[in-house]
Amino acid sequence: MKSKIIAALVLSQWLFTYSVLAGDVAKLPGDESDGSRATPIHLIPLYAENEDGEKGEQIKPDAEFPMPFSTRWTCSSSDCHSYETVSKGWHFNSVDPNVTAGRVGEPWIYFDPKLGLQVPLSYRPWPGTFRPEEIGLSAFQFTRIFGRHMPGGGPGEVDSNDFDEIARQFVSGKLEVNCFACHNAHYGQDMGGLGGYAVQVTRENFRWAAAASCEFASVTGSAAKVLETYDPFMPDPDEENAPRVTYRKERFNENNEVLLQIVREVSNERCYYCHSDLYYSHSGDTEKWTSDEDVHLKAGLKCVDCHRNGIEHNMIRGYAEEAGISQNPLAATSSCEGCHLSEGGDEPEAGRLGAPVPTHPGIPPIHFEKLTCTACHSGPWPAEQTVLTKTSRAHRLGTPNVNKAKEMLPHIISPVFAKEGEAVAEYSGRHAASEDGKIAPHKVIWPAYWGKLEDNGVKPIELAIVEKVISGVFTDLELPATGDWPVVTKDMIATALKALTKTVDGKAVYAAGGRLYSLDDSDQLVEQANHPAAAPYMWPIAHNVRPASQSLGVRYCEDCHSPDASFFFGGVTIDTPVVSERESIKKMVEFQDISPFYAWAFAFSFVFRPWLKVIALACAVVIAAVLLLYALRLLGCIAKVFAEQE
Amino acid sequence: MFRTISIFVFIATFVCIGVCCLVSPCSKECRWGPVNVLRRLIHVFTLLLLQQKLSPIGVLKKLIYLLAVLCFIVLAITGFYQRLILDEPISGYLMMIHATFAPIFAICLAALAVMWASSNRFEKSDCPSVQRILRCVTRLRIPIEASGCNITLLAQKITFWIIMFLALPLILSIIMSMFSLFGTAGQEFLLATHRWTALAFAVVAIVHTYLTIRAQMKQY
Repeated sequence: MKSKIIAALVLSQWLFTYSVLAGDVAKLPGDESDGSRATPIHLIPLYAENEDGEKGEQIKPDAEFPMPFSTRWTCSSSDCHSYETVSKGWHFNSVDPNVTAGRVGEPWIYFDPKLGLQVPLSYRPWPGTFRPEEIGLSAFQFTRIFGRHMPGGGPGEVDSNDFDEIARQFVSGKLEVNCFACHNAHYGQDMGGLGGYAVQVTRENFRWAAAASCEFASVTGSAAKVLETYDPFMPDPDEENAPRVTYRKERFNENNEVLLQIVREVSNERCYYCHSDLYYSHSGDTEKWTSDEDVHLKAGLKCVDCHRNGIEHNMIRGYAEEAGISQNPLAATSSCEGCHLSEGGDEPEAGRLGAPVPTHPGIPPIHFEKLTCTACHSGPWPAEQTVLTKTSRAHRLGTPNVNKAKEMLPHIISPVFAKEGEAVAEYSGRHAASEDGKIAPHKVIWPAYWGKLEDNGVKPIELAIVEKVISGVFTDLELPATGDWPVVTKDMIATALKALTKTVDGKAVYAAGGRLYSLDDSDQLVEQANHPAAAPYMWPIAHNVRPASQSLGVRYCEDCHSPDASFFFGGVTIDTPVVSERESIKKMVEFQDISPFYAWAFAFSFVFRPWLKVIALACAVVIAAVLLLYALRLLGCIAKVFAEQE
Repeated sequence: MFRTISIFVFIATFVCIGVCCLVSPCSKECRWGPVNVLRRLIHVFTLLLLQQKLSPIGVLKKLIYLLAVLCFIVLAITGFYQRLILDEPISGYLMMIHATFAPIFAICLAALAVMWASSNRFEKSDCPSVQRILRCVTRLRIPIEASGCNITLLAQKITFWIIMFLALPLILSIIMSMFSLFGTAGQEFLLATHRWTALAFAVVAIVHTYLTIRAQMKQY
């Protein structure tokens, strides 16, 4: 009897403990490492999503009309990985209003040369960008346009409120987080190929996109071409345009499981699909083999060695202030300073991953208060004038039929050495001005959009209205084959504004190239230069990092401090569709909140710096000689005293 | 900390000078009439501190001294204003002015060292107490001056040599930072050295100037 009571007590205690622990632990087995650095084998069944949005049938390759597998239900099947946890990560959480936006980053750029549009968009509240809905883009439309270089999730999983779009979304499905975009190490992972991920997204085959990107599946058809009434869960064999997936049977074993080549540490090629840059140098060399990769990669690191994350996918972005806002425990030690210079606490922290600890000989410490590390170490070497730059996300790099012309829109200008968090002193009302902002290299886009003047600024006009009105005005516009801006004159802008004013409530304006165009009371075009609503949007450059021997100032101070140094006096192109303004240039110093005259005078003073050194050293020698002479005389006197001589 | 200490030291210096003026006025007869004050001011600002010499070397010495004082005032203002008043590092136009006057001041210091070292060398007559000590501990027959110790002159000489001694780290600390010899830690050390040396230099220079004025006023 006594033993039974004891057994019951032990059991109840165990159950109580387990229930408490179970309530605290929400992680699935695959969410937490057991410490082994080996990658678990991923021989797993694939699952589709059913019409109720729940876990559907296991994928069988020989089914008549197999469904595309769902990453949500496949990766979280058998309770391995928590999709909900992953989908809150940085790459997927842009639509979450509760996420701290952090440092401004690259926007999505909506452009249309026929309408004179080049609009930076972002769901994150980065100052200078517009939310897609401000120009009338729904999450579905946004996903269709930009999902090609998104890893899924985010706006791809937002339920539409529009009646027509709800039906369309049912056909297309949601663009789930595509785990394979990063974690599939197979060389057949197809993000940008002819039938790959980007093409499927463009065809609105959101439900099929992840499967199409994998090496063991291919997708045909286009959800965009079928009616809104089409039911993808009851496929019509006669519908030729319907999206269909075909699986390679040889990849499935007898249990219909697939051996996936999944890696924890993502290879650089996966990152490069979305994060490639192309700087058009003045020498004209643009081929990849003519430029060097980031020095960290050449030293043997991978992107994910610095940009780490756990199952939360709260990726480290790597800027200095990130530690103050990020939950990632490695944020503090994964910035430039964190790896290379951190003093650490109880243990030394500098030198992680073999990072050299720089001594910066000859650099006065004031530089580290005024400049970011990237100012000297990252991006292209500043030249006489900024260069056009392409990025994967802005220019669809790595996808079929990309226009490789240098002038292809959108026009991103770089490097622009500007104060972080603050564009130009005149634009401080638009950007979050930061007095403590350091100078850093940036990529810049000059927004061009049609808007209406309101009390608190300029609000962009929706695309539908712009298309309807402006395309009627810009009918004879010739689009160059290079994808550059067409020839837009001020007369055309005036005509367009007159047409727009009749359509919208309020005063219609056009922002482009830093100027705001509007009509006065007599319908004459009026320009306001340096208007906050037309301020350039800038985001910091972090890569490619150049080696220390190629950093600014490594040779001499005149790398930056000379009257013709590009760091201060380089030209920043003002990009605008208005043909008469295209030769306009601003000086780099205008973006640094520094008086141009002071910058020139200070730079000019460096001409005399060698003389200053020589003169000062010579004077020190003379003073030292005098001191030595009289010190020796004093020593002589003392010697005589001790010798008791006169 | 530097800001606090600097402000305290400068205030203490000027207070001490003020107290010294009150406790031990420089003129034998305390004439504080307006004409006398005006005369003294004229003497100070035309710097008849230096004995009038009509020789070219004398003129040169006076000019270099005047230039050194001017440079010192400019350097002290530009060097200390931002740090002490605005609590920020020296930058902008003030730094450019500071860097412009610095080599001129260095030249003046070197010239002053050559020109004034001899007249500022220590002599037996400077301090009879030393003579008495030497007479006691040695067999030297050292005549003891009847007049007492000229404290002002002695202090003037001492401050002169301290100025010359401090000029070396003051100049070298900032010049060495312009070469690629020292890393960030070394740069910060050199900057701190320049800062603290400048403080000491400024205080000693102020005291030296006061003593020089005092000595000449006594003569006058």
